[in-house]
Amino acid sequence: MSIFEYNGSALVAMVGKNCFAIASDRRLGVQLQTIATDFRRIYKIHDKLYIGLSGLATDAQTLYQRLVFRHKLYQLREERDMKPETFASLVSALLYEKRFGPYFCQPVIAGLGDDNKPFICTMDSIGAKELAKDFVVAGTASESLYGACESMYKPDMEPEELFETISQALLASVDRDCLSGWGGHVLLVTPTEVQEKALKGRMD
Amino acid sequence: MECIFGLVGDGFALIAADSSAVHSILVHKSNEDKVLVLDSHKLLGVSGEAGDRVQFIEYIQKNVHLYQFRNGIPLNTAAAANFTRGELATALRKNPYFVNILLAGYDKGIGPSLYYIDYIATLHKIDKGAFGYGSYFSLAMMDRYFRSGMSLEEAIDLVDKCIMEIRSRLFVAPPNFVIKIVDQNGAREYAWRESISSD
Amino acid sequence: MGDSQYSFSLTTFSPSGKLVQIEHALMAVGAGQTSLGIKAANGVVIATEKKLPSILVDESSIQKIQLMTPNIGVVYSGMGPDSRVLVRKSRKQAQQYYRLYKEAIPVTQLVRETATVMQEFTQSGGVRPFGVSLLVAGFDDSGPQLYQVDPSGSYFSWKASAMGKNVSNAKTFLEKRYTEDMELDDAVHTAILTLKEGFEGQISGKNIEIGLIGTDRKFRVLSPAEIDDYLAEVE
Repeated sequence: MSIFEYNGSALVAMVGKNCFAIASDRRLGVQLQTIATDFRRIYKIHDKLYIGLSGLATDAQTLYQRLVFRHKLYQLREERDMKPETFASLVSALLYEKRFGPYFCQPVIAGLGDDNKPFICTMDSIGAKELAKDFVVAGTASESLYGACESMYKPDMEPEELFETISQALLASVDRDCLSGWGGHVLLVTPTEVQEKALKGRMD
Repeated sequence: MECIFGLVGDGFALIAADSSAVHSILVHKSNEDKVLVLDSHKLLGVSGEAGDRVQFIEYIQKNVHLYQFRNGIPLNTAAAANFTRGELATALRKNPYFVNILLAGYDKGIGPSLYYIDYIATLHKIDKGAFGYGSYFSLAMMDRYFRSGMSLEEAIDLVDKCIMEIRSRLFVAPPNFVIKIVDQNGAREYAWRESISSD
Repeated sequence: MGDSQYSFSLTTFSPSGKLVQIEHALMAVGAGQTSLGIKAANGVVIATEKKLPSILVDESSIQKIQLMTPNIGVVYSGMGPDSRVLVRKSRKQAQQYYRLYKEAIPVTQLVRETATVMQEFTQSGGVRPFGVSLLVAGFDDSGPQLYQVDPSGSYFSWKASAMGKNVSNAKTFLEKRYTEDMELDDAVHTAILTLKEGFEGQISGKNIEIGLIGTDRKFRVLSPAEIDDYLAEVE
């Protein structure tokens, strides 16, 4: 068993028309034993920037704390929020810093840029960035997420449809993965507002 | 083998733990208290490597006290949990402590809370949780019988159900257990469940 | 460790609350060759005198205006060797910023980093303050910017500024000539005229330096031939 699969996770982000959505499951497990069903893997960096950290939960927490620390320092120093691209480079640098003893996390970054242009990207545990125009997935349910997203995604969806699509993709995928599930969190970010919803799925 | 579990009830949280000190096939002791009263309103239930356990909880307890001496106010439970996680996480990639922790506390204005911290420093706030071989049974029992806002009597009844299940279904079940609770009146020992005398 | 107890900072407060070493450093700047900078509506220009100790020096081997990043240039008044240390450290900071964020360092950030270095040299043991003031010209997402950094580590943003010999004359001249809507070409002319004011001898493309940055965000040091063209326009 890979250390990335120790706690179980499902993460996905999708781009819509001037908006994006990011979603995760709610399970925290230790291998096959479920510890909690209200766990969070998606963290807010600022109003228009979110990061999801799949993989080992402890490293997700440590990494999140370091990222918040670095972003707050940046905000104080530069008197502005980080652009999503800039933040992705920071995450990449922090991960590669630990090249030979990595954080066992695969991040998913989603944000709205200067002109409210959506940005999504993912990277491996040592910071190799992978940018995408449509969707990115990560976690133990990533294979099934690829399948679900590949067949359900359409370009330029409006927020309502995007929410529906990402939710269905997530719920369909975690049902085929033993290590993730127990409902989901979905964040829908438009230039004007952020909607956060908790999904109920198969609670077994 | 090691069994430790805890839950949050109406105005209190409790932790129950076995009290066996075992090495390989030998039982060295059956009255080893694995639930530490961290400060006036906190309980720290710890399972894992015996040496690490003693070293680590002492380090945490002394630092929590130091904070109180310096600042005149105690750490709240969430802060103590995050501090503990931080220490465990820094140690993780240097010389890790093999300790699994349940931290229960009671804070004015917040109420009772229970935190799960495993040896790789995963932190999560929970209503019920368990570590060790006993967790297979105690988690199952709590999934079936736990509900939020249980009274103390109901909760102790559930704890006894868990202990009974462990004793009847776990081959390597420990004989004795200690139960401690924390509520607005403070953290204290509640009862022992002993099937063999340790005197 | 015999001498360590005496190796405290050279910049120690005088009883009247001054740091005389910093004032001496400012004197060194005041005695240095004149430099000036003007922020135009669409760019920034910095310029300086380049008087050489002897006619035997090959003037083409000396560059007083340098690039810190492709879009940030700097000129100094005071001690040339000291400025090189600052430029070297600043370039490194700029590269570190780029390596971390994959984004060019903003002018304000680079100026702050440079000023931090200069401040450290007023408080550390075994060092002396820098004998230079810097004029930093850059163009980034916040538009054209001109900063002056002093040996104390303090820095200010200017519409136009001067330093070195003849500061007060140059500043008075700039105050008279400066307008908010000035274009880059006008700013170059004004810079030349200002330098000319206090210039001893005949001004030419070989004894002054001009650096500028426009909306293309590429900082460029003018060649003597280009300066001569501008000089011709001014006359």
